[in-house]
Amino acid sequence: MKRKIILGVLLFIVAAAIVGYAIVFKSRGDIVQDKPDAAITAKALITAFEKDTAIASKQYIEKVVEVSGNVKKIDTAGAVVLGEEGSLSEVVVALDKKYHAKDYEKLKAGSSTVLQGICSGYQASSNDPNDLLSGLGTTVQLRSGGVKNKD
Amino acid sequence: MFRKNLIVLSGLVLFATATNAQDRYFTKTGQIDFFSKAALEDIAAKNNAVTAVLDTKSGAMQFSVPMKGFEFEKKLMQEHFNENYVESDKYPKGDFKGIVANNAAVNYAKDGTYSVTVKGRLTIHGVTRDVEAPGTIKVNNGKVDAASTFNIKLSDYNISIPAVVKDKISNSIKINVDTRLEPFKG
Repeated sequence: MKRKIILGVLLFIVAAAIVGYAIVFKSRGDIVQDKPDAAITAKALITAFEKDTAIASKQYIEKVVEVSGNVKKIDTAGAVVLGEEGSLSEVVVALDKKYHAKDYEKLKAGSSTVLQGICSGYQASSNDPNDLLSGLGTTVQLRSGGVKNKD
Repeated sequence: MFRKNLIVLSGLVLFATATNAQDRYFTKTGQIDFFSKAALEDIAAKNNAVTAVLDTKSGAMQFSVPMKGFEFEKKLMQEHFNENYVESDKYPKGDFKGIVANNAAVNYAKDGTYSVTVKGRLTIHGVTRDVEAPGTIKVNNGKVDAASTFNIKLSDYNISIPAVVKDKISNSIKINVDTRLEPFKG
């Protein structure tokens, strides 16, 4: 009986160690495969942040967002810019280095696409003439993103 | 006589302001990665949503970095970085305001690679420090690539490493900046 108890405790310790190890060393999964917290157009996402930053931040920051829009620019270092020609307001989607680093090869500037990533931030457009970053338009940023296959 | 001079002066002022608009180069997809080498572990993170602007006339430079934009391999490291180390909820952006010290030596009208020194104020975790870093500016086909590699000490920015992970995270972090800037057509 005593031996069974010791064995049981040992098994528990080993199981706990495995679970603990898995948690600590857990690799990030592919965000693009997850069910999104929100599905929205790039234009609407930008408007949401412009209208009320506090509410939009709570609603979207650190959430998985599926965003659709027109590909304005591709940076082969690992990012896609969604936006309309003639407007400086854009959604910047940084591509997931592990799972979607080369996804930009599937895209063409001027065509529409659906991307998914985690909303990581927002840059308001400043009008301060002394600010070198002024007049760049509103920017909403996503990280760990990729092209989402919509079937 | 006075009116003629006024017209000429207005023309010059307008010309000067017009030139300024053409001197700004920018990106919203700048890349910054940092690297920590410690006894037990190497940690690396990459951010591809950095906003950077360079005024080629004055050499003035400015960066805005969304701190939550750093992507880590391990989920737990991502959480610790944001919640404990840089406290990104409290300080969502890192930024740099500075100048290319030897900007006059860079010929932005001619393709070429130039070694530069960048000086300025770096703000991380709510703390601002003077920094100076070597960099390269590459003028290529109407675009400007600005890159730099330098080190910072986390303790300089009030970012404390708990003793328990001291062998996993180095206090000295290597930062790599890589931006491809294009003319701003505002």
